[in-house]
Amino acid sequence: MEELSLLKKLERVKAPPGFEQRVMAQLSVRRRGLVRRRRVFKLSLAGAFAGLLVVFILLNIFVLQKQAAPGAATIAQETSPLFGASEGVESRSLVPIIETLDYSTEIRSRTEEPRALYLLEEVSDRTLREIKY
Amino acid sequence: MDEQELMRQVQRGDEMAFGQIVNAYKDRIVNYLYQFLGDYQKAVELSQETFLRVYFKANQYRPIAPVASWIYAIATNLARTEMKRARRASLVSLEEIAAHEVEERAYSEDPPDPGLLKNLRQALHSLHPRYRVPVILKDMEGFSQEEIAEILKKPVGTIKARISRGRQFLKKKLAEARDGGKAPV
Repeated sequence: MEELSLLKKLERVKAPPGFEQRVMAQLSVRRRGLVRRRRVFKLSLAGAFAGLLVVFILLNIFVLQKQAAPGAATIAQETSPLFGASEGVESRSLVPIIETLDYSTEIRSRTEEPRALYLLEEVSDRTLREIKY
Repeated sequence: MDEQELMRQVQRGDEMAFGQIVNAYKDRIVNYLYQFLGDYQKAVELSQETFLRVYFKANQYRPIAPVASWIYAIATNLARTEMKRARRASLVSLEEIAAHEVEERAYSEDPPDPGLLKNLRQALHSLHPRYRVPVILKDMEGFSQEEIAEILKKPVGTIKARISRGRQFLKKKLAEARDGGKAPV
């Protein structure tokens, strides 16, 4: 056991001169590196977020709007006679199905012929009263 | 100023306090890592890294343990990692093996070293790190078994057993060197 007490007497090495200064120099280098890494991380995070936002906006414009059904207001606008070419009809895929017709010429041409009166009655195959025998 | 207060100041980013801690522990840590690794240059490098970690990880320090135990634990982890890395990278050439053999043969043919201290150092370095580190921490650095258990993150019973086995191994090697005149391997 006495030999083991010699362990305390074994020559102890010491830190080289200037060790503390080297540590402090390394400290400032590391800290600068840390600040730079944090800045890069923040910038890349902001860049990734901005990229996601751009992708979302582009998707919204080119994909989602094409897939969405047109609303009632859009139909009314597109079927109106005032719906002009200036609003970009050629770019629309919808064809207006309601058209306004002018019957004034037809009525005017029939005024010279003898007038005929048409009585329009409602015809029903159902009797309103019961038949009595 | 006590060490806990110094650590609190380091946690706030005080470089003066950090300088005081470096000054207080630099020789102890360099010596410990030298005993651990057996390479002075590597010990100095790892000591620097140890203190840098002390500064940057200061917020992880909890004052339930002594500052010394915490710093030694950091140094131990770094040394272990370094030893693992060195073991993985230990692809030695045939020339290196031959040189090693020649060196050993030359030593065994030489008369045994009369100095007990030299034999002790040889025996210590031939001890496996598993036993060497607890022995160094106990007999050279003066830590208690509980503190060593905390530094090495092992149960106290394990530490006791390793210290005991390490000491037995050292005694055996020293006896061999003294009686047989054989140098410890």
